[in-house]
This record gives sequence, structure tokens and C-alpha cells, in this order.
Amino acid sequence: MIEVRNLVKKYGEVTAVRGISFDAKPGQVTGFLGPNGAGKTTTMRMLTGFMPPTSGKATVAGYDVFEQSMEVRKRVGYLPESVPLYRDMTARNYLMYMGEIRGLKNVRAKADDVLERVGLTRRAQSRIRTLSKGMRQRVGLAQALLHDPQVLILDEPTIGLDPIQVLEIRDVVRQLGRDHTLLFSTHILSEAEQVCDNLVIINQGQIVAEGSPAQLRAELERGGRVLVRAEGPVEQMIAAVSAIPTVAHAEAAVEGVVVTPRDANVDPRPEIAQVVVQNGWRLVELRPLAVNLEEIFLELTRQVAPAAEEASERADADGGEGGDEAGEGAREDGAREDGAREDGAREDGAREDGAREREDEEAKS
Amino acid sequence: MILRQIWAVYKRELGLYFRSPIAYAVAFALLLLFGLIFSSNVSQLNNRAPADNLNFIPSLLTFLMFLVGPLMTMRLLAEENREGTIELLMTLPMSETAFIVGKFFAVWTYYSVVLGLTLVYYLVLTTIGVPDHGRALGVYLGAWLYGGTVLAVTMIWSAITEDQIVAAFLGAATVLVLYLADLAAQFVNNLSFTENPEFITGLANGIRELGLTAHYNSTMFVGVIRAEDIAYFIFMIIAALFITTRIVETRRWRA
Repeated sequence: MIEVRNLVKKYGEVTAVRGISFDAKPGQVTGFLGPNGAGKTTTMRMLTGFMPPTSGKATVAGYDVFEQSMEVRKRVGYLPESVPLYRDMTARNYLMYMGEIRGLKNVRAKADDVLERVGLTRRAQSRIRTLSKGMRQRVGLAQALLHDPQVLILDEPTIGLDPIQVLEIRDVVRQLGRDHTLLFSTHILSEAEQVCDNLVIINQGQIVAEGSPAQLRAELERGGRVLVRAEGPVEQMIAAVSAIPTVAHAEAAVEGVVVTPRDANVDPRPEIAQVVVQNGWRLVELRPLAVNLEEIFLELTRQVAPAAEEASERADADGGEGGDEAGEGAREDGAREDGAREDGAREDGAREDGAREREDEEAKS
Repeated sequence: MILRQIWAVYKRELGLYFRSPIAYAVAFALLLLFGLIFSSNVSQLNNRAPADNLNFIPSLLTFLMFLVGPLMTMRLLAEENREGTIELLMTLPMSETAFIVGKFFAVWTYYSVVLGLTLVYYLVLTTIGVPDHGRALGVYLGAWLYGGTVLAVTMIWSAITEDQIVAAFLGAATVLVLYLADLAAQFVNNLSFTENPEFITGLANGIRELGLTAHYNSTMFVGVIRAEDIAYFIFMIIAALFITTRIVETRRWRA
């Protein structure tokens, strides 16, 4: 159980975390999602007792992270983002060392046990420097599991791994989530969507959305936009569809025509079908556009411009549509224009991973 | 609990010293140098020179500690800072003190082994003459404490920086300052013709007492074991370890 209330962390002038509150419940994987530099690692470091919060309160397994730091540390398994290991030790010796520092008994047996759980028994005697990145990640994970903690905090455990290793680690995370309180950070959306029971999206040190992936999607699906694919002249089709009374707007996209209804609760699809058929065009596809988490994410975190806190506030004042900078505008378009969503994802260089992940998934499905 | 943790850290660090080539290189270079000096001195011995003049070997080691000490300690914390392993350690249920004390005792043990190896020369001496055992006890006890102090002081720099070279240079500079405190005291003392001679003399004595040489070269090295010298070394070690602990703690707050 992790409870965070109004947690703030300032580094001198810079405020990395601005009063966030959330809960992570036992038996669930809570995803901590946000672009790089959003404050994920800082929050996790506060929860593990590595650094104290500037203000606010957080309890882990019922103990205050600042007042009862030692009690928290006994009950938390932590995998830092950089997976710091002693390269000159063997995997088993490293785990035994960590176990001894934790004051565990039978460290040898415990080390072998966790090595088996992460599938590294065969490499127990190898020096850590000879292990691959994925194996090191697993040694780090084994270290976090060593003392059978109630709470696991994993900071971007899949970063820098190859796709197979990513899948393996995700499986492990899902399994561990069943009997632990698991907080897991990532900047990869599809990953969060697959693995997490509950998502906390953080941007610029603030929580911008919270809920299960399904909830978040349902909330943002209310736009009710529809994709029309038909064989016919696009210009005429847009004109014809725009003329329907329930339709607010229609525009061309890569896959077809994206139609935005006037009222999200009134489905324009019957009329669209009628119009298309009446014009003699052959209807290929007519479906509501599923909003995926990536769009939600882009929507929620689009004012990321590093030093542009003011700019983002100004943009908010202008009705959220401001986006003075060209980049901002382009990204907004990318996010909104659904047919061209891949372009949108690609435009945002920082989320390459997300885009690649999505492409993978699309290829699969 | 804390003893177990100190022991765990100590065991690992000590293992590293004896598995790393640097430790053997340092020991090899030192013993080679001492061996050459020792044999050239023995060859010049005649029956008028008392054999225990050769006690200079351990004291040569204490002099060289301004170079060797930083080399021994530079890795201790700087590497943990650079590799980020300190982040994980500081989220374990272990106090900084246990961590620092374990590391310090490991490097002090390594130093003790090197110092112990110089006993070889003393054994050789007993075969060609009758050295003063009492004096040798003072020399070796002093060299041991002196070395511990230098290691504790240079370890502070290893905690401050991520860069081992920087830690080594600053460590060497600090030890030199402590080593040369005697000279500084003499210089200050020469100013005593000014208006306040008592103050100047007191200041000079204070500076002298802070330095390393005042507590070794003129006392333990000639076989005089004084409680205040032992207290000085122990105080310096504790103070340096305390400062190191505090620095490691502040890293958490600054990070």
C-alpha cells in the first residue's frame, strides 16, 4: 500500500514534483506514466527513502517515508532506473551481499531462490559485467525481490531492453503485481496499457489523469469521432458528409475521412452511411475511432516545452488552443488528426519508443 | 544488526582490495622501494651504527602515505557515486555510518597488511644485530595509527567527488598540509617578535599539534608512546569518518 498526499520536491529553484497525491493498492500494478523529466524518478526516490520530500506526506506499507524511513526500507524492493550493480561481483555474491546488508538469514538460499525466480540460475556464478543488459535488469529485479517485500517500486524496468526481454519483464511485473503492491514507471504507453491495473499520468510534476486504462479511454472517447472509408472522390465526400445536420466537421486523413459529430451523444453513422450509399460510393468501413492511450497522453502532456511553463499557462488562458510555438501546434494537430496519428507520434521525437511499440502492436493485430 | 552490516561491507571491500591488481601494484612498488633502500643501508652498516636506525622503513611508509593513502582510498566512495550504486545502498535499511565504517576498516586492514610486510626487514635485522624492540613497537604502533588517520582523511574527498583522480589529488594535498603543519608552525613562531608574542606562540603550538608529524616523528618514532598522540590519531579518525558520513548523508538531500 502506497499513499501519497500533496508530495512536493524542490531542487533549489526548480520544483520537480508539485503536490501530487495518489494511491497504489495491494495486488495491483500501478503505472506511473509520464514523459522524461516529469518527476517519476524523483517521486520514486522519495518513496524509497533515498531523498526526503520538501513537503507533503507519503506512507509506504503504513510507515511514513520520512519519519520511519528504516521501516519503509525494510518493506520496499526498489529497482532504480540505472540498475546500479557491482560489476565485479558474481550475480549470486551480489545478491548475498545485499541480503547481508538487509540482515537476512540464509542469504545463500534466498539468493539462489530469487535467481531462479528471474530465470538466472545458470548465470549465478557469472560476474555481473559479463551479463547482458536484460540479465542485469533481472539481477536488479532479483535484488528487489530478495527480502520478499510488500511493496515493489520499479523505475522504468524495461528501458533499453530488446523486445523479447521487454515482454519477459512485463510478464514478471504482471505476475508480481498479483501479490505485491507494485508501482512501476514507464514512458511507454502501450506498456502501461498492457501491464497496469491503474494508471497515474504525471507531467511537469503534476498528476494530469488517473484511473484504469479502460476508464481513461472511456473518458476521452466521448468525442464520438467516426472514420469513414469509402471508394469515391474525397473532396465530394467531405462536402456531402459535412452537409449532414448532425455532423460538425469532416476532414481527410490517411485512412479515410474523419467525421466529428456536433453532439457527442448523437451517433452520425446512419446518416453518413445513407449519404455515402446515395452518392453511389462503395462503403468500405464505418467505425468509431478508438481513442488509445497515446492520444490521451499526448493530449494531457502536450505543453511539455521545457522552459515554457509561462507559455503553457498563456496557452491555457487562451482556451487551451493557443500553442504559439510551431512545434506545439504541429503536435496538437498530430494528436487530433486521428487518421494521421502515426505522423503525430513520429513528430514527437521523444516518444519514438511509444510509436515503435504501437507499430509492433498494429503489426500483430 | 549494525555490526553485521559493517561486517558485510568490510568483507566485500577487503575482498576487492585483494582481488584488484592495483592493490598488488601498490604493495609491489612499495616493497621494491623499501627493499632497495634497506639492502643499500645494510650493506653500509658497520659495527658502530646501531641497528635500529633502520626503523626508518615504517616511517618512510608514513611519509609516502601522502601519495599512497589517496591511491588506496580514492576508489572507495567515488566509484559508488559514479556507478550510482550508492542510490540503492541508501535505500536499504542501513545507516550511512555502518557503510562508511565498514569501508574504512577494509582499507585500514589493507594498509595494515602492507605495513605488516615491512616487518620482514625487521626480522632480517634481528639476524644481524639486536634491535631495540621497545622502540620498534612505538614505531609500528605509530605508523599504524598514522596510516589510519591519513586514510580516514583522504576518504572524505572520495565521498565528495565522483572522480577518483580528483579525490586522489585533493587527498594528497590535504595530507601534505597536515604533514607540513610543523613548518607552518615554525613560520608562525618566527613572527613572535610582534606585539603579542604569547598569542603567536600559542597559535604556533596549536598549528603544530594539529599536524601529523608532531605526533609521530618526534614521539612514537623514537619510541615514546604518549597517550595524547594516540588520542590525537583516534580523534582524527573519528572526526574524518564523521565528516564523511555527513557528506554521504547530504548527497541524499542534494541529489
